[in-house]
Amino acid sequence: MPRWILAVSAALMLTGAPAATAQTVGFADAIKILAASCGNDIESYCKTATLANNGIGQCLVQNQDKVSAKCTEDFAVVTTLIQERLAAQAAAPEICANDARQYCGDRKPGAGHVLRCLLKSERVVSKKCNTAIDLAGYR
Amino acid sequence: MNRIFIGALAAGALALTSIQASAQTKLSRNEIINSLQGAQQEVELSADELQKAALENIQKYPGANAPQSLPLADKLATLRQFNLEITFDFDSARIRPESFESVGLIADALHTPYLQGQTFFIVGHTDAKGAREYNLDLSLRRAQSIREALVTTFRVPSDYLYAVGLGEEQLRDPADPDAAINRRVQLINLGYR
Repeated sequence: MPRWILAVSAALMLTGAPAATAQTVGFADAIKILAASCGNDIESYCKTATLANNGIGQCLVQNQDKVSAKCTEDFAVVTTLIQERLAAQAAAPEICANDARQYCGDRKPGAGHVLRCLLKSERVVSKKCNTAIDLAGYR
Repeated sequence: MNRIFIGALAAGALALTSIQASAQTKLSRNEIINSLQGAQQEVELSADELQKAALENIQKYPGANAPQSLPLADKLATLRQFNLEITFDFDSARIRPESFESVGLIADALHTPYLQGQTFFIVGHTDAKGAREYNLDLSLRRAQSIREALVTTFRVPSDYLYAVGLGEEQLRDPADPDAAINRRVQLINLGYR
């Protein structure tokens, strides 16, 4: 477990994310770790596996006795990073609910209208909502 | 302008990318957002119509190369769009690892509020080498492969994404039909529904 946490923070440093607590990274920065650390293993053992439907991930697990230690380690990191970003995106509307009512009540719900309004209202929006928007990668 | 550049990387990514010195992209999430956002009202064009138009172009004007571009070309040209290069295995719809990052950038862009709630076509294009019907099919399968990766691995809402394959029917550089610049993935914003 401590090794895992170390790996995540290492990945965050490598992807250039600021060393703030609870930072998340984008899908591109996450998945490029997989390409870098597992690219050779993917080409050796997963020639027909696809990026879609976690095909690459399933193949790497199936071949874990052959896959490099670095790849195994970073695959877990990448999975976590993607889940953290998705969780942050799912959480943002709820965390921002009060701000949305206060500053964006006239906007149509759905289709990103309220979130776009919250982005524009950055100066007045609460700190927790702004942080939630940052963590979701929306800015 | 929007093609892949080899080399130059964001400073923070250097440590990682030096591990694998393969092609990397200078593409950024914001470049994609800026090119795609600002769609006007909804456009009356379905993915099926566009796909059908490409097939009809082959049936009406058979031959090694398309003698003219699609009738819908002018309409498409007015829409907010972005071209990028995704690399696949030869004759296959399997996205190569060096393009995972580019697919991730599309996901990052489509998830933002700037592009949320708008409908997008993911349009695959080939160069003019090979049979037109084959290219049409391959480009469609490749567009579907990108859509599938976005929808499953990166959880982009599926309702807003449509895959279209135009093969070699809509060349980017008709004067040089076999040129690499014609092989591309085109994202087109069809606006709010």
